[in-house]
Amino acid sequence: MSTYPSSSWRAYDWQLIRDAPIIPVMHMALDEALLEEVAAGRRPPTLRIWEWAASAVVIGRFQSLRNEVDLEGAQRHGVQVVRRITGGGAMFIEPGNTITYSIYAPVELVAGMSMVDSYAFFDRWVLDALASLGVEAWYQPINDITSAAGKIGGAAQTRRNGAVLHHVTMAYDIDSAKMLEVLRIGREKLSDKGIASAAKRVDPLRRQTGLPRDAIIERMIETFRTQNGLTDSALKPEEWQAAERLVETKFGTEEWLRAVP
Amino acid sequence: MHGEYKIPGGKLVVVDLNVTDGALRDVVLSGDFFLEPAEALEWMAAAIEGLPVDTPVEMIAERVRGAAAHAELLGITPEGVAEAVRRALQGGAQ
Repeated sequence: MSTYPSSSWRAYDWQLIRDAPIIPVMHMALDEALLEEVAAGRRPPTLRIWEWAASAVVIGRFQSLRNEVDLEGAQRHGVQVVRRITGGGAMFIEPGNTITYSIYAPVELVAGMSMVDSYAFFDRWVLDALASLGVEAWYQPINDITSAAGKIGGAAQTRRNGAVLHHVTMAYDIDSAKMLEVLRIGREKLSDKGIASAAKRVDPLRRQTGLPRDAIIERMIETFRTQNGLTDSALKPEEWQAAERLVETKFGTEEWLRAVP
Repeated sequence: MHGEYKIPGGKLVVVDLNVTDGALRDVVLSGDFFLEPAEALEWMAAAIEGLPVDTPVEMIAERVRGAAAHAELLGITPEGVAEAVRRALQGGAQ
């Protein structure tokens, strides 16, 4: 049980951004650009719902490219490989198969909380939204959203200049066979989970709810709006331009992709 | 050489390295853990770089702890890094 009141969310004028589908590398750049905007006080705290324009493998900031990704398999399936600014594990994304969102907030929202507690805190509203759809999900520390039937999603955070980025990808549906052709999932990683097959670890929301993906997203937005307040918003042209510059100088470069070879 | 260690209740820590003239070289640390600031990844790897191949695990952990003293670690521990190094050396060539 969280001891932190949800009323602290209410101290902010939360903004909602729902993207048109954009390419994976632009999502990486927007996360950094918007984190900087919130840190600088130029944008109020924001919830961004992602739409993907291409399949992707998104690896964590500290993951080894060659250890995590089968580059040949990714190329064969037309999967774009990108590195994000947060730690955590590799994700296999296909448009329409995942629900992804980012929260950009002042760190004062989670002041006094341990890092581990702040993960669960940031996704409390999502667990409530899922519960309202009949999915009993909970937080498995450090950063997993899980259910009796299997893992649903994972979160990752990074902090910068007084702002925190918390983003989450949940599986709506999954092509496990393809996933295993683009990701290298080692046995050691699964050793303390007691599960032999990586594919079995995930139980996607489509199977658990029987609902269209958009219906789940709508319920999530509705839940956030009811609990915390939420104003419809959009990317500013200068935010988009800042992200484009970051693609050029950072996220689109081989140097960044291979930051950990 | 390549070693992996899944920290119980934490994340996967991976170490890739070479041994040259009895010393640990080309140390690359990776995994699905969390670090603030991100530069702490290089600080920890640098703390292992050049150590004699027979350095006790406890001492490797101590070096890593010192290097990460001003960083926030989540899902990764100095002991876990040292264990991944030990496994890499034990496993031999990749």
